Amino acid sequence: MRETLVIFRRELKSYFTSPIAYVFGVLFLGFLLFFSSQSSLQHGAQASMQSFFGLLPFLFLFFLPALTMRLWAEERKLGTIELLMTFPVRVSQLVLGKFGAVVAYLGLVLLLTLGLPITLGVFGRVDWPPVIAAYVASLLFASSFVAVGMFWSSTTRDQLVAVIVSLVSLVVLYGLGYPILIEWMADWMPAWGVDVLNATSPYRYFESISRGVLDTRDIVYFACFCGFFLYANALVLETRRHRG
Amino acid sequence: MTVHLLLLLVVLGQVVYLCSRHRLRFDLTADSLWSTTESTRTLLGRLDKRLVIEAYFSPKEKLPVTLRESRAIADNFLDEIVQLGHGRVVVQRFDPNADKAVADRCQRIGVKQVDLRSTTSTSISVDRHWQGLRLVYGGGKQKVIAQFGPNSSFLAEALLTPAIKEVTTDQKRKIGYMEWPAHAAGQQTPGGIGWNVLRTHEGISKRYEFQNFKDDDGALLPADLETLFLFRPKDLTDRQKYVLDQFVVRGGALVVFADAAEYVLGPQRAFARVPFQVDAGGSTKPFGDMLLHYGIDWKQKLLADMWGDAHTPRDRITQAFEYLAVPQMNAFGQQQLVWVPYPYFFHARDFDWKKAADELSKQLNKDGRGQPDKELAETFRKLFVAGMPSDDFLFKTFKQIGRGPGFYWPTWVGLRQRAGGLLDLPEDVEGRVLLWSSPAVLVEDAPQMLNPIGQNPQTRKAEHDKFLLKLKERFLAEPRQQAPLMAQVRGRFSSFFAGAQRPKRPSEIKEEEAAAAAKDKEKAGKDAADSGQKPDATPEAKKPVDGPEAQKPVEAPKPPPEPEPLTKGDRPGRIVMIGDSDFVRDDFVRGDYAQAGGPYSILGPAFFVQLLDWIAEDSDLVALQARMPVDRTLKLVEEEATPTADARLQEQSLRSKTSWLRGLNVVLPAGLLAVFGLCVFLVRRAQKRTFLTSLGS
Repeated sequence: MRETLVIFRRELKSYFTSPIAYVFGVLFLGFLLFFSSQSSLQHGAQASMQSFFGLLPFLFLFFLPALTMRLWAEERKLGTIELLMTFPVRVSQLVLGKFGAVVAYLGLVLLLTLGLPITLGVFGRVDWPPVIAAYVASLLFASSFVAVGMFWSSTTRDQLVAVIVSLVSLVVLYGLGYPILIEWMADWMPAWGVDVLNATSPYRYFESISRGVLDTRDIVYFACFCGFFLYANALVLETRRHRG
Repeated sequence: MTVHLLLLLVVLGQVVYLCSRHRLRFDLTADSLWSTTESTRTLLGRLDKRLVIEAYFSPKEKLPVTLRESRAIADNFLDEIVQLGHGRVVVQRFDPNADKAVADRCQRIGVKQVDLRSTTSTSISVDRHWQGLRLVYGGGKQKVIAQFGPNSSFLAEALLTPAIKEVTTDQKRKIGYMEWPAHAAGQQTPGGIGWNVLRTHEGISKRYEFQNFKDDDGALLPADLETLFLFRPKDLTDRQKYVLDQFVVRGGALVVFADAAEYVLGPQRAFARVPFQVDAGGSTKPFGDMLLHYGIDWKQKLLADMWGDAHTPRDRITQAFEYLAVPQMNAFGQQQLVWVPYPYFFHARDFDWKKAADELSKQLNKDGRGQPDKELAETFRKLFVAGMPSDDFLFKTFKQIGRGPGFYWPTWVGLRQRAGGLLDLPEDVEGRVLLWSSPAVLVEDAPQMLNPIGQNPQTRKAEHDKFLLKLKERFLAEPRQQAPLMAQVRGRFSSFFAGAQRPKRPSEIKEEEAAAAAKDKEKAGKDAADSGQKPDATPEAKKPVDGPEAQKPVEAPKPPPEPEPLTKGDRPGRIVMIGDSDFVRDDFVRGDYAQAGGPYSILGPAFFVQLLDWIAEDSDLVALQARMPVDRTLKLVEEEATPTADARLQEQSLRSKTSWLRGLNVVLPAGLLAVFGLCVFLVRRAQKRTFLTSLGS
């Protein structure tokens, strides 16, 4: 645990000492808050964060691969991964530390958006528990995307390849929960197949929590989803370590 | 590695699957948006037979996006119902698209399909979708919901729970009514405009059974009748009033939709007053006095609300005809309806009028150079009340939109007061006013004509200006007050007729008159016999009577003897009085005048439906009816507190505030992060320089 925390601190610190965190943060917040405040902050509209949480997954889809691409690929490119592997830590601790740092960074970025619900609360009656649930859902959703991005980053030394493969797989995962795509699939796929594919999409579970219903099924799904990709990530690194 | 991952995938898949079968669910929304209400739970808990819900659903994978969400909500809700039913509720699913016999059954029982056309670059096809339900309780009573397409779990429950209630109970609730139709359009005689549109509305008639109790002979109302509606009472005889009195004294709920005056619109939209009297000729007990006896003060005056927003339609552009609009040519040469202020058509606003005290005192303070009169403002603050003070579920939906239904030529309906404005309700009776006008109301005797625009389109504007100017002059000359528009009293009422002779039924009077005439005749015959004259014999009297009539004289069946008049009830009664009946009349509800510029009672039907449920106090459905989401409307600027505020300035202020808030919300967080990043960059550059300098030295 201590080793994981050390890795976590080192990673988190590296975010704030490099321009990537600020560029990512400013662009992400700018896009997100600009578009969502256009529809949320309107006299006579409902004091709801619906547009904000409607846009958030879509932005994660494009921003998160850019954030995760460097996690392992850069280490491999710079050759620092060999140094990392010589540390007296287990690969799983390395993976968890890095994963935790990205999620914590995203949590901080999401904290900076709290101004919007507070403004809504000043001028209307915000239903806070669903908003908090939606923030939790956003973080879980982002975690699942980070896990996928990290996995792809571990498989290549080229950041561009990592970002493209991550983006494609995330678009597919996102799309599997998207109604239009399901409709299209239903035209040529058996119903059970559509159901199974739909059940793999994090978007479906994000929607469920973000409407204000906390369901153990959704939490377990996100835990399993992240667990699977982090395990796969650790497995890739472990295999590489053994290969030397 | 691949085997490892595949195995893990299978295990985790199983875990998720098992968790979705046995899950815990917490609805965090304040309004419990995603949970069933106590109504549904109670209803399902009371089932003593099996309720089978046949779901005629075509496969959801084939549904278009627009219907997919609705299907998910319907499925979720049905699942929840099954869980709550503890084995007594069974959902059977059928796919009418897969089985012709099922599709035929759907047609037969009344489940309707939706035909949606889908177009691609090469083809056009029509897809048939089904989403209907049939509820069968105990293998007997059935109810079909032709299309079950809820767009929220709220609506799913609102549709399904009353249907379950209907199918599991034997009787519809009976509501009695007496109506006096309004003058029909273009006719000067009482015509057919009643409230048939509402009474025969499918949603209402399925849940309530309406029965007309306007009996010419004035029979007492049956003991099992609990609710009676009076629509536009007029020409009321003392006997009719006695019937109503005995009804409320024995604990009935009386709902009165009253008008102080009646105006006919007609094709020419004349706005001309037609003769109207509440009490029939010869009546000695005025209906107004009777209501006052119970605690309701009905001033038979006409009201006009001068507050701009009170007589402005909800949507001035698309629903300008809600009150009064005139056709005008727009810049593109198209004719469109433009709303014109007409203070006799207005609504109660959900606004605390105490907030308007300063503004109104400012208007009345002639010497204060636009400054509010503090003393007057304080008096107003004490006097004025909220426009919709009740939190009953009847008003909850209307509070969301900030206003009540539109009333047309309404009248004053308040509570009995002593001098000094103190309530003076009868013993054992409590009451409250449920809707108030704004404090800018004019109370007047109904004028003969109320046409604000005249008949000539050329002089329309001048006429309208003149009309408004006159009203404004009178408004400024009169004291500020709020007019009550709807009131309720409940309690154990004493009879208005206590100590007085019971008014007789017309048949009784006739009988007595006939008996008196016979007596006189007999007496006259006796006198004649005594004086030795032959009694008068009319040709009919002389004529021999043959046939069956000879054995069976024609006589109306005698009504059963009436019970002794009740002087004080054992059970609490209830009277609700609404100062308008036009908002539920057929032509206004149907929108007959919409094309001509209104009025069109858009919100009237919704209010009526809610009123029915509220009056019925259906204990099984109360939680469901009260289930209205909390108003979460954003109010970026305060509600304007003046009838004369410049709308353009208000809009400008709103626009600048909105832009400012949006800007702040975008710039502040992003800017904070950027500034922090810049600081880190500068500090690090300084550190780097120091380090390099130290290396150099």
